Amino acid sequence: MMRALAAAYRAVLHFLAAAAAVILGLIALFVTLDVVMRNLGLGTLPWVTEVSEYSLPLATFFIAPWLLHRNEHVRLDVLLAVMPRRIANGLERAADLVGLAISIVFIVFSVRLMADSASIGALVVKNLTFPEWWLFLPVPLCFALLAIEFVRRMVALPPAAFSIALEKDEP
Amino acid sequence: MTWWIAALLLFGILTGLLLLGLAAAFAFLAINVVGAWIWLGKEAGLVQLIRNGVVSITSFSLTPIPFFVMMGEVLFHTGVAMKTIDAIDRVIWRLPGRLSVVAVVAGTIFSAISGSTIATTALLGSLMLPEMLRRGYHPSMAMGPIMAIGGVDMLIPPSALTVLLGSLSGISISQLLVAGIVPGVLLSAVFVGYVVVSVKLDPGLAPAFTHQPVPAWDRVKPLLLYVLPLALIFVAVIVSMTAGWATPTESAAIGAVATVLVALIYRSLSWANLMKALTGTAAITGVILFIIIGATTFAQILTFSGATNGLVRAIEEARLGPTVVLATMMVILLVLGCFMDQVSMMLITLPFFMPLVQLYGFDPVWFGVLFLICMQLGLLTPPFGMLLFTMKSVAPRHITMGQVNRAVAPYVVIGLVMLLLVVLFPALATWLPELLFQKR
Repeated sequence: MMRALAAAYRAVLHFLAAAAAVILGLIALFVTLDVVMRNLGLGTLPWVTEVSEYSLPLATFFIAPWLLHRNEHVRLDVLLAVMPRRIANGLERAADLVGLAISIVFIVFSVRLMADSASIGALVVKNLTFPEWWLFLPVPLCFALLAIEFVRRMVALPPAAFSIALEKDEP
Repeated sequence: MTWWIAALLLFGILTGLLLLGLAAAFAFLAINVVGAWIWLGKEAGLVQLIRNGVVSITSFSLTPIPFFVMMGEVLFHTGVAMKTIDAIDRVIWRLPGRLSVVAVVAGTIFSAISGSTIATTALLGSLMLPEMLRRGYHPSMAMGPIMAIGGVDMLIPPSALTVLLGSLSGISISQLLVAGIVPGVLLSAVFVGYVVVSVKLDPGLAPAFTHQPVPAWDRVKPLLLYVLPLALIFVAVIVSMTAGWATPTESAAIGAVATVLVALIYRSLSWANLMKALTGTAAITGVILFIIIGATTFAQILTFSGATNGLVRAIEEARLGPTVVLATMMVILLVLGCFMDQVSMMLITLPFFMPLVQLYGFDPVWFGVLFLICMQLGLLTPPFGMLLFTMKSVAPRHITMGQVNRAVAPYVVIGLVMLLLVVLFPALATWLPELLFQKR
């Protein structure tokens, strides 16, 4: 059961990271296509600027949990490196706890933001028109996965069944 | 709460969390949560924090970041970069410290295609360092030039961090990108000079040249085949931007797609390496932008708490001369660079520095270039120079962190001299953008 959960969790992280990669590739292609078409007098793709703007938060929120899972977010570990291992571990777990608290704050208040926006029927009206709360939808998704990851990190030392299952799948 | 207590509280918590080992992005989010609760109206402030976070990174001006990074990632993952190094290796002949010079020249060319300092250093380090050490290059002569030229990547466009600096500070991104070219190329030239002179003075630093003569065409052909197309991409990106045909974002996208096309023409592109390059792009972009989520709110909190105005007013009342203010800002950046990543440096200092730039009437493009040189030096200064760690991670296991730090020291001094030169002769930074943008 735990193994299946861990595998599913990892698959979600990988899928979202791959989606972020594809989104950025497609946006580069469409922006170029727009410039080429405009300069050849073939018209424009008016939605490209707007969609490329939205692609940045989408890609960022999609890949953030995967980056945390791989410990790729930039951090200062100078102090930890010179400390005894046990104290350093304790500090890292404290940092994870702060990360978990932030994630919960972001989940709660992003849901509230979406609910407020939906309740007043706020719309984004540019080239594309859509409910404003759609813009914020990736936030609770991202921070929910980040919260899971922070919990996993806290219980992963000493290695727990969950983390062992995860490590086994590492490429 | 007085402005200095607010500033102490904010920066104290931030420093504490960073030392705890919390990733910079989360440290900024944590300080934002605290600041939003105190100064932006408790729960309403937290809702505003999330709205600001999404809006901060929903910006067309930030879109060049992934595209510039993509150019470098495609170049590296498809193996085109290796062909480029090989081509440069064939034309640089009979120079003392030849492979170190090849590293600097190849690094300069990669800088003109890649927007990622880490990618450039990792590539040159992993490809060239083992061979240089095997041939008897002194570790300092093998690693120093690679790290130094990796840092220069930030100055020579395309550069992801330059786009970010322009976007966060309000300085023209196009002009800032162009302004980095002269100092960047000058630094590369000085690095080459330093390598040659060092090896002349101490021949033990690098082995003597032993190559057999090769026909001139065999040496020039790979250059035309593998370096010229990359140089043309660089020219296309810069010209389309400066001529007003395309915005920086559009130029960057064209550059990224052109790099993919070049890899395709060289038959170096596969789905697997394209996906690797795109995932690498998304990862680097994600790391940068996730820190930026806190940018707008952090600046707002500094303003609402009175910290920004308080500090600016205190400096105004102290009647400090512009030289002292500029020197203080540079020293702050250099010190922060020893401990912090470049994005965090921008977030912390720009809310204070840009009002001072305005107050003292500094040319923003000139100031931007000085800021970039300081950040570039921050990549190379211990204990938290990002490129030092990058080099350590790709170097053979017997290389110590001390050797890595010592290898880069002379290039840090050269960088400091360049900083001083740009302070004394602003035209080094402003001449090219003034020339290229004068009609607009």
